[in-house]
Amino acid sequence: MVKQLGFVLDVNRCLGCGACAKACQNGNQLAPLLWRRIRRVEKISKDQIQIFYLSTACNHCGDPECLRVCPSGAYAKRRDGIVLHLSEKCTGCKSCVASCPFGAPQYNLQTNKAGKCQLCHERLDQGMPPFCIQACLTGALKLKELKDIAENQLLRLTAPVPSLRLTRPSVFYKPPRTTKL
Amino acid sequence: MEFHQNICPRNCYDTCSIISTTHNGVLISVEGNPAHEYTLGKLCPKALDDVKKVYSPQRIRYPMRQQVRYSGFWERISWDEALTLIAEKILNLEETYGTTLPLALNKYSGNFGILHNAMEGLFTGIGATTRAIGSPCWSAGVEAQTLDFGTFFCSDPLDMSKAKLIWLWGVNPAWTAVHQMPIIFDAIDHGAKVVCFDTHFSATAARAHRYVKVCPGTDGLLALGFAKVLLEEGLIDPNLGSYTFGHEEFIHYIETEISLDHCSEITGVPISTIRNLAIEYGQTHPACIWAGFGLQRYTNGGQTLRAIDALGALAGHLGEEGGGVQYAQFETWRFSGAIQDPFHPINSSSNADQASVDNLTLNQKQTDRLLNINQFAEEAFNCTDPPVKMLWISGRNPLSQDGNLQQWKKLISQLDLIVVSDLFHSKSSEAADLFLPITTHYEHWDLNSSYWHYWVGVNEPAIPPVGESRSDLQIAWDVSSKLNKLKPGSCAFPISGDEKETLLRELGPPMLDILGIKKAEDLLNGPVRAKYPRTAWENRTFATPSRRYEFFSSRASDAHLSPLPIFIPPLNSSIDAPLRLLTPHHHSTINSQVYATGTANPDYVLHLAPELAQRYDLAVGDRAQIWNESGLLEVVIQPILGISNDVVIVFQEQVEGPLTDMGQLTLGARGFALNETFVNLRKL
Repeated sequence: MVKQLGFVLDVNRCLGCGACAKACQNGNQLAPLLWRRIRRVEKISKDQIQIFYLSTACNHCGDPECLRVCPSGAYAKRRDGIVLHLSEKCTGCKSCVASCPFGAPQYNLQTNKAGKCQLCHERLDQGMPPFCIQACLTGALKLKELKDIAENQLLRLTAPVPSLRLTRPSVFYKPPRTTKL
Repeated sequence: MEFHQNICPRNCYDTCSIISTTHNGVLISVEGNPAHEYTLGKLCPKALDDVKKVYSPQRIRYPMRQQVRYSGFWERISWDEALTLIAEKILNLEETYGTTLPLALNKYSGNFGILHNAMEGLFTGIGATTRAIGSPCWSAGVEAQTLDFGTFFCSDPLDMSKAKLIWLWGVNPAWTAVHQMPIIFDAIDHGAKVVCFDTHFSATAARAHRYVKVCPGTDGLLALGFAKVLLEEGLIDPNLGSYTFGHEEFIHYIETEISLDHCSEITGVPISTIRNLAIEYGQTHPACIWAGFGLQRYTNGGQTLRAIDALGALAGHLGEEGGGVQYAQFETWRFSGAIQDPFHPINSSSNADQASVDNLTLNQKQTDRLLNINQFAEEAFNCTDPPVKMLWISGRNPLSQDGNLQQWKKLISQLDLIVVSDLFHSKSSEAADLFLPITTHYEHWDLNSSYWHYWVGVNEPAIPPVGESRSDLQIAWDVSSKLNKLKPGSCAFPISGDEKETLLRELGPPMLDILGIKKAEDLLNGPVRAKYPRTAWENRTFATPSRRYEFFSSRASDAHLSPLPIFIPPLNSSIDAPLRLLTPHHHSTINSQVYATGTANPDYVLHLAPELAQRYDLAVGDRAQIWNESGLLEVVIQPILGISNDVVIVFQEQVEGPLTDMGQLTLGARGFALNETFVNLRKL
């Protein structure tokens, strides 16, 4: 692997507005499916509140489980780290849907195939940012070459569970602030 | 592929500059304009759905007639039939009553584009008519700032990035002005601290360093409490004497009338918090306050904003780069007004296809009957000499947004003809006889300013009108044409014209000067920022009668208001209606304009403190009812953080309310004290 592109989310800049998810849905003509979703995380104590949003799509894992389990070879990992779903090879067996720890591949009832965030690779190849990143109003969501970033500045998106860490998701977030009451 | 410049015309701080893409005459995508300093290439999720909205199957594409109001049985008619119905009714009313006053227009902010003022122009061209005036939104605050500063002016929104302390007071930009958030984040990255004051823990509070819960309607007292601490701590600007008027009287009022104990008790903010925040505000330069619209929608709303202004002045933050007290501005709206006045000198010198104006005089338009938009139904119903018989609703949805729905029902029953021009059916069109389909901003020329940033731009059509929809300007020409055909000389508004030429005529010498361009056509190249300073009142020379910031305003006392900003308590709840109902904007809507297609929530959601929910034996998802003497609403329960136990929130739905204290002077009518609404609650 030469590169590993990945999403970096500064949760202190994310408003949870959903522009990223909507731009993804509109740009990729996915409705009613969503390849990107917003999750709200809330932690409350007596004198502070922490509310932040996680905008997540496919994590383009270092060791993608979808690619490992797919019986028809419908997944590929590019040299820049993007995990591609190859629709023409997909038989719609749903192995990937069942095995991805993050629920990224979704079964499309119209095509009878799986589908997921392809990191807008065609746009990237033309020098344009993915729809989600182009849409992000605050610069919270960025696409980065992960090897360029000092690991100690970032937190992994996932819980510290071995089975999740095994796939090495290429998504990081900056630690959230809290609001003092 | 073709690209076009558009501007989002909604009643929103951001007024975004849009680049739309078309292919074979079809709109295929919209993006923010990267050349616009405030939009910066980004659009909010509402505008991202514009393509779906333009081609929505629900959009009305043809003129429609409803033979029986509220029946929902609409039949398609031709434009000629629709225009004939309208023109004949107007002429018939004029003949019956000997005046055109029975004809009423109720128009506001559905589309803030300047060419939409053609509706006013049409009505002025017909003669003396009945009009809704004022604003349901911001009147009290506009007037407060006008009394204090002389005009209504704010710093450039980018100025906020230079602040070291930002107080977001009753404003929720994370939902209602998303483009301001990266500017605030930039300030944070440079070390600024952000404090959010609100009635509930908002999406903006979640991104702030600190959240301060304020009891609704008491923000003015809190500002005066902060002022008291500044006095005690010696944090008053020593130069006040050189650029303010009446600071000694104001200081005397604070010293003698304001106690921190009382302030803390009423506002719900602990004394230690008041003290710490005030000291930080007094010591940090630059420090910026952004006061939202919600905090002035109370019976004391104008006083609240005057108190906040006074706090900023006392601490010496006015005119400070990155400081000040920001509310909004109206300085970039100095258009020629030719479109709304057929008698405007610009029009007589133009080549527009002018109807005969022989039998109309300027005196006639001066006898328009002006009704407060916030009491429109009641005032219109009470008009007897002559009564209101025909109503045109444009850019509004009063049957969803106004407080006095029972009054509206009464008014509707006495009207001969109700015309609604809109994109979609609404609560208001349910009561209409005629529905005229209008174009979106992707289908007509227009001209737009913001009330927050200083950019002005031309909106060009990207696609032909969808279906048989027509622009408000085209409709105004067509009505005038039909009127003049049926009775020559009956309407002075032009009977045809060119949209682009009409918009260029709105850019008169004052606007060209403000924008720093030589000729109107220069604006066709792209949006332009008005040549105002980035920092409001940077020279500390104000536009008041004294040329100073006025703690003491004789214009206020002339208007029978207190000359000094004072605290007047908001209305109280009663045993019958113990809970205050707030109805702030939601991120997915602007007033009743809905953007997300097909995802509408079937239920109104009532947000309240978990303890309050418990008191009424309510849990998440339970069904309940809120009611007061004006109505009843079924809701679903959803607890929310950081809210008082006597307040409940339904985002974006409004019920009956009294008027604000200010607004009469500057906008001609007092505002809508929407947040002085009280309800009772029971489980279902």
